[in-house]
Amino acid sequence: MPRPSFYLLSRDEIELVYSKALEVLSTVGIKIEDELVKNFLESNGGVKKDDRTLIPEELAKEALKKAPKTFDLYDRDGKYIATLGEGANIFAPGSAAIYIIDHRSKDVRPPLLEDLKNAVIITDYLKNVDAQSTMLVPDDLPTQVRDFSRLYVVIKYSKKPVVTGAFTVENIKFMFDMMKVIRDDFNKRPWAIFDVTISSPLSWSKITARNLYDLAKEGIPAEIISMPQLSATAPATVSGGLLLHTAEVISGIVIAELVSPGSPIIYGGSTAVLQPRYGIPIITAPESVLLSLAYAEIAKYLRLPSHTYLGLSDNKIIDYQAGAETVYSAVLAVLEKFDIISGPGMLENELTQSLEKLILDDEVVGIAKRIAKGFSLSADELLQDIDEIKDGINKRHFLSSPRTRKLVREFHAYSIFDITARSAWDKKEVHDKAHDKVLEILKTYTPTMLDKDLIKRVEEVYASAWKYYNLGNPKLV
Amino acid sequence: MGTDEKDKLFKDLYDAIVIADTDKALSAARKLVYDFHVDVQELMNRALLPAMKHVGELYERGEYFIADMAMSADTFNAIMKEIIEPILGSNKETSGSSKRIVAVFGTVQGDIHELGKNLAKAYFMANGIDVVDLGVDVPAEKFVEAVKQYNAVIVGASALMTTTREEQKAVIEALRKAGLRDKVIFIAGGAPVTDEWVKEIEADVNGSDMFKAFEKVKELLRARGYATS
Repeated sequence: MPRPSFYLLSRDEIELVYSKALEVLSTVGIKIEDELVKNFLESNGGVKKDDRTLIPEELAKEALKKAPKTFDLYDRDGKYIATLGEGANIFAPGSAAIYIIDHRSKDVRPPLLEDLKNAVIITDYLKNVDAQSTMLVPDDLPTQVRDFSRLYVVIKYSKKPVVTGAFTVENIKFMFDMMKVIRDDFNKRPWAIFDVTISSPLSWSKITARNLYDLAKEGIPAEIISMPQLSATAPATVSGGLLLHTAEVISGIVIAELVSPGSPIIYGGSTAVLQPRYGIPIITAPESVLLSLAYAEIAKYLRLPSHTYLGLSDNKIIDYQAGAETVYSAVLAVLEKFDIISGPGMLENELTQSLEKLILDDEVVGIAKRIAKGFSLSADELLQDIDEIKDGINKRHFLSSPRTRKLVREFHAYSIFDITARSAWDKKEVHDKAHDKVLEILKTYTPTMLDKDLIKRVEEVYASAWKYYNLGNPKLV
Repeated sequence: MGTDEKDKLFKDLYDAIVIADTDKALSAARKLVYDFHVDVQELMNRALLPAMKHVGELYERGEYFIADMAMSADTFNAIMKEIIEPILGSNKETSGSSKRIVAVFGTVQGDIHELGKNLAKAYFMANGIDVVDLGVDVPAEKFVEAVKQYNAVIVGASALMTTTREEQKAVIEALRKAGLRDKVIFIAGGAPVTDEWVKEIEADVNGSDMFKAFEKVKELLRARGYATS
């Protein structure tokens, strides 16, 4: 069956980068800002050198052997969604935006908890964006509770799996407690994936190091995200960025697998080029995209599930540039067969989310996945085609055949892109149609809410976390 | 050792900072300080500051990229570290350092991305501000302690990540609790900082662009009666 695929690196090139990355880890090592994790690594094979920790090659290789090659992802209610590690192409909205384009006024402003609820409901509705993310940082909540409050909203309003993460050491435990309410087997049949980011070059902050440690202890999937910015936090060459990225992700895998052998991890990243003039990270810059595609092939070589930030735009508004950046990066990501692709809805260097763009990106994701699926081709089918052609030349068309009638239903069904003839066109631009769709969904769609008793129990955990910070009654939505 | 030679050395130093030739810059600076007995103030005012200012102009004109500025800042810092700081350290009493304007810079707790902070530090130092660098992952209380210890009038707290930007609020709160908030000019630094954010957390300066930030700081310093270059 013809299926488009994409290869960038030869096996020799992959092995060269991999071996050099191990060399970086064993000679340069990593800096861990958290004493507990640093001591843990150094008493389990890591070698202390000044304020850094070296990772001997054998230690890294052993850890890589222990990481699961595949694991299954479920939804909140325990239904199987996909096997990660086989190129699942699961799309999730770009996460942790600190701005939203207000879908009524079109202004850009900090998001509120209510916006997150709306974004979760829209994403729940979407057909092609398979997962949720804790995509907005609600500005109307006290700083201390912003991370776990987001998970509460997702759990309540959608059954889709979720890509999430904590901003603090303490709060990840409240997030685990909320998940435990839903299902005892929340770690055996996971529906939440936690992002942990390493700070390039080769540095684990206290928060992310400890988050990774705690996730491994609980056996919850950790998406290890290295974020090299070419020319700024990484060498200016794509190959140098690849080398650094490889070393960084492997360092996270070593920590996770030493804490708990067999702990599920995802080989992730969010690459960028630091725009040389304006100093902002351009995620969809061609060199950045090449870097992402290349590290996916290292992940495949190591036989590990992979993740990226693509299928998004760096522009500030939804326009030609936003569409172009989103489409080429989404299509390349599916062809590279990433397991998790974070991006839909996102604009402006991963700062801004838009509900309209979520709707438009769902179409892009659908088309990208359809292209990735390829098409079927067999001798039997070609025989049927010969019969069709014989009929067709008599009728001078292929429309009125039972086979056509069946197959046209399998063509990509457009949900929002304009595919009408000019005569039938309602003169609306696709962005305005997306806006109408947002309003319609928020008015009429019933999301896959959590069972009432469980909501009550999740809200009890949620309230206990607010109480922990002496913040009074929690803000519910 | 004539005036011509001295002038040439100043020009060499200036040019070497602009093109970021650290060896050449150090060599010229050493000769000026040790052979011609040029004092720190003259070295700063005739070469270091105008050179960094020119680097800033080249960037503004689009001829220099950030990488070019970073290189020049490295050269500048090398001269500060190897030549100027040892001299200032040895005659602290007489250098008039107590009159200097002190800033404390650091990345906020939870954030260890220091590239922007380091560039801003170089630029502020180039413009005559003493910058005490608290490093990365700095808890709010550390900023407060440093303001007290160094009698600082500027605080620069930077955050690269959207998730750690929140901590800037905590630093402001800690300064307020310690009764120091009104004493300092607070710069919220980092890519995710916007004017709305500055307003929301009641910071004084949007530090997402170090050049604009410095202009604003200068304006606020003047309003508070400080002499600035």
